[in-house]
Amino acid sequence: MKKYTRSMGTALACFLVVIALNFFLPRMLPGNPIAYLTGFAEEDMTPRQYEYYRSALHLDESLPAQFMYYLQSLLDGSLGYSYKKEAVVSELIFDRLGNTLQITLPAVLLSAALGLVWGLSCGFHKNGLADRASTSLLIVLNALPTFLIALVLVIVFGFKARWLPYAGLNSAGVPAGGAEYVLDRLRHLVLPVASLALAALPSRYLMMRNMAAQAADEKYVLYARARGLPPGLIERGYILRNIAQPFVTMAGMSVSTCVGGSLVIENVFSINGMGTLLSDAVYTLDYPLMQGILFVTTLIMVISIVAADIICVLIDPRVRWGERV
Amino acid sequence: MNRGRYLPLAAGLALLSLFALAALAPGLFTGYGQKEMFQAWLAPSQEHWLGTNSLGYDIFTELVYGTRETLLIGVSSSVLTMLLGAAAGVLSTVRGVWGWLSNALINVFALLPRLVTLIVLAGFLGSSALNLIVLISAFSWVGTARDVRARVIHLNSMPFIENCVIQGYSRAHIAAHHILPNLYDLLLSRFLLGVNSCIMMESTLSFLGFGDLYHPTWGSMINFAYNRGAFIRQAYNYLLTPGVCIMLLSLSFYLISLYFERRRDTIEEV
Repeated sequence: MKKYTRSMGTALACFLVVIALNFFLPRMLPGNPIAYLTGFAEEDMTPRQYEYYRSALHLDESLPAQFMYYLQSLLDGSLGYSYKKEAVVSELIFDRLGNTLQITLPAVLLSAALGLVWGLSCGFHKNGLADRASTSLLIVLNALPTFLIALVLVIVFGFKARWLPYAGLNSAGVPAGGAEYVLDRLRHLVLPVASLALAALPSRYLMMRNMAAQAADEKYVLYARARGLPPGLIERGYILRNIAQPFVTMAGMSVSTCVGGSLVIENVFSINGMGTLLSDAVYTLDYPLMQGILFVTTLIMVISIVAADIICVLIDPRVRWGERV
Repeated sequence: MNRGRYLPLAAGLALLSLFALAALAPGLFTGYGQKEMFQAWLAPSQEHWLGTNSLGYDIFTELVYGTRETLLIGVSSSVLTMLLGAAAGVLSTVRGVWGWLSNALINVFALLPRLVTLIVLAGFLGSSALNLIVLISAFSWVGTARDVRARVIHLNSMPFIENCVIQGYSRAHIAAHHILPNLYDLLLSRFLLGVNSCIMMESTLSFLGFGDLYHPTWGSMINFAYNRGAFIRQAYNYLLTPGVCIMLLSLSFYLISLYFERRRDTIEEV
């Protein structure tokens, strides 16, 4: 139990690091913080504008007071104000967050499930033909950058075969609501989710495969075999139960990697998600928006780690029984 | 078996030396200059193996000249990653404030969403090649540090280190003369695999348009191709060949590391 609270503590510490980074970065870098916090060049501002921004951003107050204002903006959920887009940062992000999660969550679940089943069976039958073939295949896949997988899928299934749409999340002209809209959305989601899942699959597969291969050499597996238990039972009832926990932890930690991957995927498929918002923010030098996105991504990461730890506690019989006894 | 052992090493080294040659002497591979202009969007032909791009540059030439930048960023950030990781890993096993602090740092950095943080920091700091190298390694050392930490803790409990302590050697002497040499194989494999992940990171950043425009790498090439309508013109060779090169380069490093991994396993079995 102690192990899990500690990893939650680390997640929280990481969260604080990001908050501190967000706060100090514009104030510590060479150059005027006003330029960083508004995104406008100092020379383009009239003195009145300059004074206005200076007091609106509380830059005329002491550093601790500024930090309090920053924390306040995080707590009330506004995350600051984007002067470039003239909108509250959190509204901009939450408009897009749904689209990003629609790609990320199915991809995370799909790649985890596939990696679990495939890796387990290959690790259990290690050095067999299937194991060698699929391990080398996934090692090659591992060497492919995410965007290349996406591009290949677009070219093969979108351009050549014309089976699936490859841009946006909805076709023009399909009215919102109704079964047709949902089907259309699902068709649009196939390629992005598939590319992200394929990009995330190798690391999960390889981890699962190596752990299963290691566990297959353990004495308890030998004993189970000697008792004549069926291989399927040994695989699921003995090996899986022993290596499930590190796998869940790893899957939880890699959600943030998948969010990173979805930034790339969104750019390839021109989906209006956080990724396109982030590249937009970087191109237009919209610093408050960049910071807000970093904050929200970290938040997603912390949530997924905590969720993974809760699952670990739930599936850990030692914890369950330890509490009962 | 004995001959098969050297197969991955040979294949990896052959591939790698091809890329290294392209990086050192690009003139050997292509007769065209880097900025030599031809007609735009030529299809692949005898004169232009991969055709020409939107500005009329020969794509194969662009690819060859991009090798140097890609390798440079990949290898140098991996070296930096390895040094940072080794230092943090060894430091985190020391008792006291420093050990605690660097251990906490390792745990925190392991969780940070790498790509998003990198993009945001590149946005703030600007993305010159040097900045990219420093940023990428600043967010990649955690894996190395964790492995080093685990190995050092393991080593510290071994009799020969105990013996050194009893003999009265200082901690610094033991670390430098007895622990570091034992980290050699681990650091080597982390370095080789680190080049892969650094190249991957760099190409992703460049693909998104946050790379160094003055030193175009393969990632930036794909970004150009993508933004300048290689899709619509069906110039798939322009889009995909840099990616295939990234894959081959990654595989070459992987194959080399595979050899060392197997050799270590053999040594441990004996």
